[in-house]
Amino acid sequence: MDRRIVLPGDKIAEGNVRVPNTYFENNNVYATLVGFIDENKRYVPIEKRYKPAVGETVVGVVTDARHAGYSVDLNLPAEGFISTKFMHATLMLGDMIVARIRSIERNGDIELTDVRRLPKGKLVEFPSAKVPRLIGKQNSMIDVIKKYGGGDVVVGNNGYVWISEKADIPLILKAMEMVEERAHKHGLTDTIVAFFEKEKIERAQGKR
Amino acid sequence: MSGNQSVKLIVDGKRLDGRTLNELRKIRIEVGVIPEADGSAYIEWGGNKIICGVHGPRECIPRHEASPFRALVKCRYSMSPFASLEEHGKSGPSRRSTELSKVIREVFENLILTEEFPNTQIDIYVDVLQAEGGTRTASITAAAVALVNAGIPMRELVSAVSVGKANDEIIVDLGKLEDNFGQSDMPVAFSSRDKKILLLQMDGLLTKDEIKRALQMAEEATTKIGELQRKAITKFYEEGEGEFVL
Repeated sequence: MDRRIVLPGDKIAEGNVRVPNTYFENNNVYATLVGFIDENKRYVPIEKRYKPAVGETVVGVVTDARHAGYSVDLNLPAEGFISTKFMHATLMLGDMIVARIRSIERNGDIELTDVRRLPKGKLVEFPSAKVPRLIGKQNSMIDVIKKYGGGDVVVGNNGYVWISEKADIPLILKAMEMVEERAHKHGLTDTIVAFFEKEKIERAQGKR
Repeated sequence: MSGNQSVKLIVDGKRLDGRTLNELRKIRIEVGVIPEADGSAYIEWGGNKIICGVHGPRECIPRHEASPFRALVKCRYSMSPFASLEEHGKSGPSRRSTELSKVIREVFENLILTEEFPNTQIDIYVDVLQAEGGTRTASITAAAVALVNAGIPMRELVSAVSVGKANDEIIVDLGKLEDNFGQSDMPVAFSSRDKKILLLQMDGLLTKDEIKRALQMAEEATTKIGELQRKAITKFYEEGEGEFVL
């Protein structure tokens, strides 16, 4: 547990090496966000605002129907837009969707494509810096959550997470909270499996 | 700022509250106190109690103010009506709070990497719950921590402290009485790495040599404050990684 917490302005490396979320000055690389140095000597930010990038998956809510498409709330300063060119199905206000970012306009607005309407469920926020941990390596974490949670879960890179109403929503929320708290620990997936197993046993006993 | 020599603020090298000339008041910083804000911090600095919340980057309102090149930094400093003996915050912003909002905003405009978030704004809200001299420096110190907590990219941290003169002695971290009855008061903000001066105001008079000495003392004091900020943030993020016990 000798992970060093790094603050903005702390030196991370020498020489002009490209590291995300840093800046280069006086032949040194300095951090811009609070983070830590992991065992592979990599700088991992803990708090981070989501910056949209083309090709990423996002979850959102339809907020407006316009003549050429739909506006989507993506939990970002800018709006998402679905053009009817890429989406033939009809959406309603309040519909939850998952989509891919097609392009980002100069004013920051985000054009979406590959839109899929999500059935009834719950939309929750999750810190976008920790989304990779919620998905896990090759979807390992999200697969565990889906399996034990008994329903579908869709995670957007923008920090919106959709949970199917068929799933055990309180249980999944609890697991997500744990992922958020322990986002930068080893063996996180195992911890979450252990948590689900424990819950399972407790519930079985409670029912008895 | 009368520079009233008849008021004895320093006796035998000790100040009214028993501090030595370069001793800081007790400082306690807490991180992440407001769940609804993107980032927040609470600071107790002697008798000052200040809470700071940060929102953003979010959509810029009014829209015509938005810049396509960078994020706008907005700051609103306000003092609660019960914060101090004087009249404060009862009828909207005053000349004083407008000035403080401006100087705090300018400190962070120089630190935040605003080019990363065009067409947006970043809001810094500072609320003084209790005041005892040196609220602007405490506000800057707290806001820096809140911005880190919000995950807004910054070049470095900033810590601020006031230095001044009372009974012809240079003192660090002026309390309310020293501020009101001393000869001079000079709030300074130093960035953590470069030691750049991001805020420098002065009330009263100091000679050139005194300013040099005062700045040096301020730099030493801000280094100490920087350590406290670091400790507070580190503690917050390390405790969040507590062990899960089955």
